Amino acid sequence: MFVTDIRKDFYEVVANQRVALLVAADIDALCACKILQALFHCDHVQYTLVPVTGWQDLCTAFLEHKEQFRYFVLINCGANVDLLEMLQPDDDSIFFICDTHRPVDVVNVYNDTQIKLLIKQDDDLSVPSYDDIFRDEEDEDGDGDDSGNESDGGSEPSGKRRRFDEGAIERRIERQRARREWEARRREILFDYEQYEYHGTSAAMMFFELAWVLTKDTKDMLWWAVIGLTDQWVHDKITHMKYVTDIATMQRHVSRHNHRNEDEENSLSIDCMRISFEYDLRLTLYQHWSLYESICNSCYTSCSFKLWTLNGQKKLQEFLADMGLPLKQVKQKFNSMDISIKENLRDVIEESSNKYGMKDIRIQTFGVHFGFKNRFLAGDMVHAAAALLESTERDESDTTDNFIKALDSLSRSNIEWLHSGIDLAKKKLLAIQQTVASCICTNLILSQGPFLYCYLMEGTPDVKLFSKPLALTLLCKYLLRAFVHSTRNKRCKLLPLVMAAPKDVEKGTAIVVGIPPESETSDKKNFFGRAFEKAAESTSSRTLHNHFDMSIIELKTEDRSKFLDALITLLS
Amino acid sequence: PHCCVHAKSAARSDLIPSIKLRHCCLLRNQRCIMAYLYDRLLRIRALRWEYGSVLPANVRFHMSAEEVQWFSQYKKSLASFMRSLGGGAGLDITQDMKPPKSLYIQVRCLKDHGEFEIDDGTVILLKKNSQHFLPRWKCEQLIRQGVLEHVVS
Repeated sequence: MFVTDIRKDFYEVVANQRVALLVAADIDALCACKILQALFHCDHVQYTLVPVTGWQDLCTAFLEHKEQFRYFVLINCGANVDLLEMLQPDDDSIFFICDTHRPVDVVNVYNDTQIKLLIKQDDDLSVPSYDDIFRDEEDEDGDGDDSGNESDGGSEPSGKRRRFDEGAIERRIERQRARREWEARRREILFDYEQYEYHGTSAAMMFFELAWVLTKDTKDMLWWAVIGLTDQWVHDKITHMKYVTDIATMQRHVSRHNHRNEDEENSLSIDCMRISFEYDLRLTLYQHWSLYESICNSCYTSCSFKLWTLNGQKKLQEFLADMGLPLKQVKQKFNSMDISIKENLRDVIEESSNKYGMKDIRIQTFGVHFGFKNRFLAGDMVHAAAALLESTERDESDTTDNFIKALDSLSRSNIEWLHSGIDLAKKKLLAIQQTVASCICTNLILSQGPFLYCYLMEGTPDVKLFSKPLALTLLCKYLLRAFVHSTRNKRCKLLPLVMAAPKDVEKGTAIVVGIPPESETSDKKNFFGRAFEKAAESTSSRTLHNHFDMSIIELKTEDRSKFLDALITLLS
Repeated sequence: PHCCVHAKSAARSDLIPSIKLRHCCLLRNQRCIMAYLYDRLLRIRALRWEYGSVLPANVRFHMSAEEVQWFSQYKKSLASFMRSLGGGAGLDITQDMKPPKSLYIQVRCLKDHGEFEIDDGTVILLKKNSQHFLPRWKCEQLIRQGVLEHVVS
């Protein structure tokens, strides 16, 4: 069921209890977790935090902790499956689920006792009504007598009932027909409801709202909420409209926080945290890199210029010349650029970008500023934390270490981690750009009819980076965008993309990701989740649907071709 | 020393310097051993404050029987002292060695420690990299042992 009063029905319930937090491995979940932890610290709520990377982890964590905890809070996992069926908990376990995954499983919506959804009921849900899906067996009163005969479609009626025959048989037939109709409609409704996967409002924003309702919100929590929202935008989980709407919501909170202390000028010490609204450039990490490198490695600019072609390189030089930016300056570290250049940079770039067909070079976002040296945009934090979360630097199979590092990097006291995250993010972006360039230039993306397909071979440089879901999804998105800009085939521009990369060479597994087609007005709804399931079933391929996003699966490399064929047939 | 007296009476005065030298050496060795044994005792005393009243087996393995006995006597002394504090109510002074900043602390588990039972009966599963928010006094023991790490964020 949906929780209507998050303070009364959630926070006050757990405030005197010990809680188990099961947190998924994405940045929005990490931010939501930080906010909730801060609230719990404030009110001395004892908790245990367990990172979970997939359904298997979730089940294991639940089994390990079910004896000790009655209340479980699940962040960014659990809403889109029948949780009670999966975990088989005791009757007194209660689950609070704050998850952006949609659609929410109907059982979770209509369970009144054990599942409490920390989701707003109007959050773009369109849940089917109860009567359309569930039918009380008690309505089948009259069938009780006839039930024995239903299966054989009416055996010889016994002598006693001959009087009621005609009427009874007619009524029974009518009921059966109505039931079949109802069931057909139910299948249709459920199919429509569950066909497309998408994402709802950020979990971090939900918890920030809780903090606000409790009047315990701080600037740190506000910043984490902003990062959570930005994560959804960076990883293409929400539509542009929704992003802009949510930014406006956050802007109201930011204004409120900023007006608190601005009585006189310079009333705040330089070390205090300041969050400001920025209409900033869509150049990833540009303030921590050189402007030139950022332009070359940001998806938006790289695809608009087509920087993998010679022509594209020339256009870039023209673009820089047009703005009057000397190459020497532009290739320097951003902080070392001349002040005179940095002053109007955003406006200058926006003007020139318009000439080169890039109308949306600027995007609404927020930045943070504390101390003399520390300025970060929300996007920087997302990229840094995501790089730390999926770092393959140390050859460990222990993903929880990375989780802890990424979680720590979000705190202001762990600036070194943040900087190391930014370095990793730069390497990751470079790798993505190089891979995109090579895929486009060697025509590795093939049209399979209903979708585009690309497979990263084992020897590809940096292929280890792309064995992780977030990195592969980012690569997928950039690749599709680049492809759309480079192909002349009008039909291919509207196709979705499926990408496969080797995951574990020893075990012979690959990771497969599907993303919806690239378009300005895309609603980001992804049908690959169900499609993958069906394709795997029909070919009995050995797949592992472990990730919380159904559109990301693991597959045995040997089964790749038959799986692909089934997918093509399914979607044609 | 006694030997010197013997030497004098036996008219072997030329031996007296060797005797004196050896004697000094023996005294020095004795001082060294005393210093060593005393240092061991100080460390054993510190163990009570670090590990609590039950020493892990690998530590006890390295202690001599007399040292073990000394330890248990020290334990008893400390316990009776602690009992006498606070007007007979007793106070455990081995808790809160550093002034605590908060009632509850966030700890991170550094290695798999299995299940850990706290005094009020609740059981916590200590898995590597899990984080917990617990009352300070329940965690101190484990922090000292290096199983948990205090996270300051």
